Amino acid sequence: MDSSILRQLKKIAGKDAVLDRPEELMLYEYDAGVDKHRPGAVVFAQTTQQVSQIMRLASEKKIPVVPRGAGTGLSGGAIARQQAIVLSLARMNKILEIDVPNQRAVVQPGVVNLELSNATAKHGYYYAPDPSSQKACTIGGNVAENSGGPHTLALGVTVNHVTGLEVVLPDGKVIELGGKAQDSTGLDLTGFFVGSEGTMGIVTRITVKLTKLPEHVATLLGIYNTVEDAANTVVAITQSGVTPAALEMLDGWMVRCVEANVHAGYPEDAAAVLLIELEGMREVVEEQAKAVSAVCLQQKAREVRHAKDEKQRQLLWLGRKTAFGAVGRVSPSYYTQDGVIPRTKVPYTLAEIERISKHYGLIIGNVFHAGDGNLHPLILFDSRDPKQTENSRKAAKEIMACCLKFGGSITGEHGVGLEKMGLMTAMFTEDDLEVMVRLRNAFNPDSILNPQKMIPDLHFCREITGPLPQPKVEPVAGVPA
Amino acid sequence: MSTVSSPASVERDLAAIVGEGQVARTDFEINGVVPAAVVSPGSPEEVGAVLRLANERDLVVAPAGGLTKQQIGGVPERIDILLSTTRLNKVEEYDPGDLTIAVAAGLPFAEMQSRLGEHHQWVPCDAANLERATIGGLLATGAAGPLKSTFGHMRDFCIGIQFVTTDGKVVKGGGRVVKNVAGYDLMKLLTGSYGSLAVITRANFKVFPRPRQTRTFVCAFHSLDEALNFRTRLFQSPLTPMCMEIVSPGASEYLRNPEPAHDPDDYAPEQPVSLPAVEWQIVLRAAGSDNVLARYARELGSAVTRTLEGAAEEQFWGWISHFEQGVLARHRNAMVLYTHLAIQNVGPALQALERTAPDYNLIPAAVGRAATGNLVLAFVPLSVDPPSAMQYANCVSAFRGMLPAGSSAEVAQCPTEAKLHFDVWGTTPTDVNMMRAVKRAIDPKNILNRGRFIV
Repeated sequence: MDSSILRQLKKIAGKDAVLDRPEELMLYEYDAGVDKHRPGAVVFAQTTQQVSQIMRLASEKKIPVVPRGAGTGLSGGAIARQQAIVLSLARMNKILEIDVPNQRAVVQPGVVNLELSNATAKHGYYYAPDPSSQKACTIGGNVAENSGGPHTLALGVTVNHVTGLEVVLPDGKVIELGGKAQDSTGLDLTGFFVGSEGTMGIVTRITVKLTKLPEHVATLLGIYNTVEDAANTVVAITQSGVTPAALEMLDGWMVRCVEANVHAGYPEDAAAVLLIELEGMREVVEEQAKAVSAVCLQQKAREVRHAKDEKQRQLLWLGRKTAFGAVGRVSPSYYTQDGVIPRTKVPYTLAEIERISKHYGLIIGNVFHAGDGNLHPLILFDSRDPKQTENSRKAAKEIMACCLKFGGSITGEHGVGLEKMGLMTAMFTEDDLEVMVRLRNAFNPDSILNPQKMIPDLHFCREITGPLPQPKVEPVAGVPA
Repeated sequence: MSTVSSPASVERDLAAIVGEGQVARTDFEINGVVPAAVVSPGSPEEVGAVLRLANERDLVVAPAGGLTKQQIGGVPERIDILLSTTRLNKVEEYDPGDLTIAVAAGLPFAEMQSRLGEHHQWVPCDAANLERATIGGLLATGAAGPLKSTFGHMRDFCIGIQFVTTDGKVVKGGGRVVKNVAGYDLMKLLTGSYGSLAVITRANFKVFPRPRQTRTFVCAFHSLDEALNFRTRLFQSPLTPMCMEIVSPGASEYLRNPEPAHDPDDYAPEQPVSLPAVEWQIVLRAAGSDNVLARYARELGSAVTRTLEGAAEEQFWGWISHFEQGVLARHRNAMVLYTHLAIQNVGPALQALERTAPDYNLIPAAVGRAATGNLVLAFVPLSVDPPSAMQYANCVSAFRGMLPAGSSAEVAQCPTEAKLHFDVWGTTPTDVNMMRAVKRAIDPKNILNRGRFIV
């Protein structure tokens, strides 16, 4: 990076707030996904004003800027391309206000997701969206990705919990969108902004809703001898009229992997388990727990266990939330997928994933938000073996093709970023994408902010992507077609 | 006017797109402006062709559905084409197992709801006039009723959207699955855009199991403060009612069916006229089993003055949803505002209403979502002293002046002549220049609803 730029960045943010040595930059060349690119410099902003000054400088010099939180993203959204500046918001990590009467908190973007819930618990409130990385990921990053999590099934994802934003535009201008009110007169730019993956502006202050802690929680573990039975249970629960707070599925391979890691009491001989959580008034939860247990047993669950205390409940969730990490213990590399399908198609899709797994000779573990059809197949491979690496990518593409065939989406919560950009044309037409680009340009006209992310360059995407493979859909035993 | 072609040739060209019978004249007025033609396209592609033609010839287009909310907004500069979506009225796909539905924008909401009802499902929206109001119109106006308290509004149910831009492109956002972050959230952008960005032609929704049993608890208080203190206790309690409505003393009169119009010469009251109501009410609607509803009754205890069930309950919530219509049916010249407030600003906003209205010889009445700050405020004129246009303007500015920072309040209804004297949309915490930039990006020639919306 040009030394005069570095000097100016240091002048704005301070000497200790700019990284430019290769060994320092290496730490910022990846996120939790698969792509890697080294940035030209990393700068840590501490105030909105600094963010604004950095953006003004970058705009003048036409240097791309990539905003970054904790770097836990899975789609390459926080990875710089070219000689870009990575603008880290990690040091803007203060909870500015906990406003219990208004059921709101005002935070800086670098506040870690779980810390907000910890800080508000004593008031009887929490911040509902709970990505599995919530111990590390930042709320600013959650806003960029419109993050989900297991407990967003009943309560909604990040966008349903954000009411106000302070945003720095690429030219350094600071604007307000929304505030503490549920909504406001005029266009809902707050809702539109959430999930824009750092391509429209940099969020420097966020007003979020706080949710009342439930009076009662019941956690059930449905244990199955076949994956199909578990998948059918998901469909049956959805139709039963009960919306659980969370409805997660782990297949047998994942169960064994997770159990070896956390010893939560997951049955290692199961073909699949459902982790089901019900929240709310005591009477409601008790009735729902009974109803859900009955549905599980009707769908041939071998057993339905109830977490007997908070400790056991936490242990089960620890297993679920550290599942990706548990895989890291048994495989040198893994590729996390994030596809969405209509819920009734869970059984077929799992059968197709099984076929893809066999075809490429790669283990694919399944752990996912079954209740909203958001799959996270983990493809295990050894990145030192180029053939396996190539096959993992091919397998991933086939899984995505399967999701799309069923009318699903290429990403439910991890974002498009770099990773899925090539797949956008499989979901959207050129007209769709062209209108999205026009809207982005209203905020970010020169594409200084997070360039070449999310929306593919319309003229080149066809050649990059090529046609998607056609999935073969096999009939599944016990499932009506 | 900069229209380059004569009305007759425009009508001919429009007919060439949509067919002879689908171009018509109307005497329907939108804030005093009569559209030159009503055009009813039969497909999104025809919508595209109509918009392309309008864009080329600088014709101003007003998208329309069931015409239930066209009077909201500023006075249109002119309307060359009222673009009716009523022929786009199919349920495109409904999969009860997935709890998702795809419908064309011109479908009346009630038709979708009755289809969902066959499987005991619903989209939890209880805005007004759902028999006529269309899916597209409800989305465009971000309409909601008391259920917004817990379920949110159209933007929270809409998982996919198709719309047509002024350059004729048929564009989609989102999809058919309940969780999806691929691409920008165009559903949020279009919801509440009042037809000023694009014409919505289709929408996909996530749907919900419909509660099998509900009960309504009416709790009455002597003052606003007491009502709000009760609300605070509810927030702290484990109860999770699906509606939490606040009703001002003046509103009670509109929460019943209007009496048949009397012949003024035939004055024969059957009952002595009762004293004006002085009570503030918090009305809760809860769903659940007998056991759950019994818990509500227990926890609420002596605060409950009335319990409603069945038909009486449905009727009560229908009146709440149609409060604005109830006011306007009795007082054509009433002014109605929608507020957007932080929870703790509900009190100050209601006080502002109660204080400003009498200063302008208006009677205050309000209902609203006590848990989200979305109130419907009515300023009702006395029939003996109709206010002047300036009085409305002064009243609005006095009222807005009393609102705490961060609030916004748009005037949804008032006599058209008054609209020339103030900004019906008012200020908003969201950057208006950014809104305008978005509008320019998608409708650069400003042919959609020119003069109506904030952008």
